[in-house]
Amino acid sequence: MSKQAMSKPGSPQAASHQQAFDEPLWWGLFSAGGVCFAVLLPAVILFIGVLLPLGLLPADALSYERATALLFSVPGFLFVGAVVCLPLFHAAHRLRHGLFDISVGRDGFNKKLMYGAAALLSMLALGLVVAGMLS
Amino acid sequence: MNKTSSQRLPPLKRNWWLKHRFFKLYMLREATVLPLVFFLLCLMAGMVALVQGADSWQGWVGFMGSPVVLALNLLALAASLYHAATFFVLFPRVMPLRIAGRSLPDNMIVAGQWAGVVVVALLFFWLLGRA
Amino acid sequence: MNKTISVKRYVPDNAAESYWQAFELPVDDSTSLLDALNHIKEQLDSTLSYRWSCRMAICGSCGVMVNGIPKLGCKTFLRDYDGEIRIEPLAHFPVQRDLVVDMEIFLEHLAAVKPYLIDDDPVKPFDPQAPETYRQSPAQLARYKQFANCINCGLCYSACPQFGLNPEFRGPAAIALAHRYNQDSRDHGKKQRMAELNRHEGVWSCTFVGFCSKVCPKHVDPAAAVNQGKVEAAKHTLIALFKGDEMNGEGKAHE
Repeated sequence: MSKQAMSKPGSPQAASHQQAFDEPLWWGLFSAGGVCFAVLLPAVILFIGVLLPLGLLPADALSYERATALLFSVPGFLFVGAVVCLPLFHAAHRLRHGLFDISVGRDGFNKKLMYGAAALLSMLALGLVVAGMLS
Repeated sequence: MNKTSSQRLPPLKRNWWLKHRFFKLYMLREATVLPLVFFLLCLMAGMVALVQGADSWQGWVGFMGSPVVLALNLLALAASLYHAATFFVLFPRVMPLRIAGRSLPDNMIVAGQWAGVVVVALLFFWLLGRA
Repeated sequence: MNKTISVKRYVPDNAAESYWQAFELPVDDSTSLLDALNHIKEQLDSTLSYRWSCRMAICGSCGVMVNGIPKLGCKTFLRDYDGEIRIEPLAHFPVQRDLVVDMEIFLEHLAAVKPYLIDDDPVKPFDPQAPETYRQSPAQLARYKQFANCINCGLCYSACPQFGLNPEFRGPAAIALAHRYNQDSRDHGKKQRMAELNRHEGVWSCTFVGFCSKVCPKHVDPAAAVNQGKVEAAKHTLIALFKGDEMNGEGKAHE
């Protein structure tokens, strides 16, 4: 790659003049998460974040028994993947670029921090579903 | 390779986006993930409560009803709709769909995505809304 | 009717710092900003420097910032401005003098993406008895036509905060032009260009701010081109992963 016309040996460009084979993965997760955020989350936030605590849902709609049955199942596992995990990666991507936009931290570190946090939280969320299914 | 590199300006100051309405709206779009993250953390707390048992679950529902949490989740709802409005119009530009050699009109793709939002909301109503 | 326009002057021979200078001049409904600058140069202050050539939005040389937004002087009409009119050199480029900027970096980015047809076959001598021409259907033309309208005016670079934050970013026009050739049925240079685009300073620096497409005087929509380029770069990466042998980019064999 050092043969590229623009970069001089030893310049910072030469070091960064390499293929970004990880970026398609982050961008793919960001895009998929963006679709979930836009299509699924309005309804999820409306029902679980607003109507449920306001008591506007029927009393047994999300009772402990019903919520457990709904979440700790294979559809529940997929629900968490689409409503928690992918949007987490979407948020991680935007936060990473947002930090670059306002010149906070180094991109290399922010990248590890953000995608790492999204991956950890995702595993925790999916693990909770599995734990609930096993118990 | 020996071509002299051209002159470079120092990078923009971190307040560059305050100079234009367009850039402020861009930053607002990017910031929609902040209330999203808050809601997702709430949701995960609810999952932990569900694993712990019925009392924890009731406690979590109460926590979700506290004014500050409710206000932040209403903000998240607004953010998700603003995100949808900005995200849907990008889709046909990133992936122009062609059917039988003809490109689908942009507004049809955007309308289709909004229809998706409505269908998901109806699905939730079917699942949780009926007494 | 008279209007006042303020021009950001920078004359390194006389003063180290830039300064604002206001000019009052007669305008009518057909007065373009370029007409106004020409009036200033001819009637009011001959020391004012700016670039222009065609007066009809095809040469792409008269780009300036008008109230902070990049515009072509010849395509901007003073009738559309009621309040103050502040003219500055194009943002994100080093200023040489007054409204003249150094666009070398843009030209470097442009050259780096090989914005020309690349054909695998070696050049054959032209035979008038049996002339060979490229064939292209209207549908094939439609795939890239929009992206071929770029006039290299550089307005999109002044609109792009990612270029302002990191001048190594190849930027909207260069990537749009790369995409234009990648989409061209006559071209076979996609692999070489992908090695350039699939870098952090290639398509991946873009966050789809979208202002580049807003200011483009030829409606090229470079933001769409860059983001379609991300899809292409993702495909390129998948192919590279499965073949495994192109991880170092295709550029080597051709340079």
